[in-house]
Amino acid sequence: MAEVNQLGCLFVGEGVVLKGNFEVPDIASISGTVEGELTAKQVLIEATGIVRGKLTGESIDIRGEVNEQVSSSRSLIIRSTGKVTGSIHYSEIEIEKGGHLHGDLHNLNPHS
Amino acid sequence: MSIFSKNQPSAENESNANPSEEVTQEFVAAEQEVVSSASSFESVTRQESTPRSNVLAKPSIISEGFTFEGTITSDGVLNIAGTVRGKITAKSVLIDSSGQVDGELNSEQLVIKGQLKGDVNCEDLNVGPLAQVDGNISYKYIHIQRGGKVAGKFIKN
Repeated sequence: MAEVNQLGCLFVGEGVVLKGNFEVPDIASISGTVEGELTAKQVLIEATGIVRGKLTGESIDIRGEVNEQVSSSRSLIIRSTGKVTGSIHYSEIEIEKGGHLHGDLHNLNPHS
Repeated sequence: MSIFSKNQPSAENESNANPSEEVTQEFVAAEQEVVSSASSFESVTRQESTPRSNVLAKPSIISEGFTFEGTITSDGVLNIAGTVRGKITAKSVLIDSSGQVDGELNSEQLVIKGQLKGDVNCEDLNVGPLAQVDGNISYKYIHIQRGGKVAGKFIKN
């Protein structure tokens, strides 16, 4: 899907280091390292990807590593290779067996 | 003749070597027999041990509508479909979809389908899609199925 329509997408290849704040209207696919704030509609952190900072999105899929903060307004998936440390805000969460989670979990809409 | 006489002992050696090989083959065959008898012995002991582990695997059950307040300690499996307020220590704990636990929980294996409020210390944690978990959780392996509602502090050991 991401490869077909690249409008509004951000791809960070393996070995690339980005520093700063990023607003991505559609998909952000991270195989490299991002230092700073990253906001996207859909976020894919690949197995080699690392985000140090605040990560915000509707759907977030983590195979790599995220530090500090994650906020997902729709669905958050931490895969078996994923590692998340820091505070996590979610509305729907799934953690595959082997996934690493260290920090505070908060449900955005706990009574729904 | 001298050459012939020299050859003779080597021929003898060859003839000696063959029987020794036969002997080793016999040894191998004997070893195989030993192994096969050992494996059959193992299967016998396994059959003996299965009923005993079944006794251990027989769960203690807190049924639906049952409320327990206090401390529960078990070396085996604990199924909770009712309500427990207090401290639970068991090898394996299952909180059923109707189950509610309020308090401290220590176990190796923990499956949560119902509600849990309190501090948890476990190795293998599995949170079902309808579960509600609130508390500080320290774990080794975690699996949260989609839809499970979890809040609190998570610490991986």
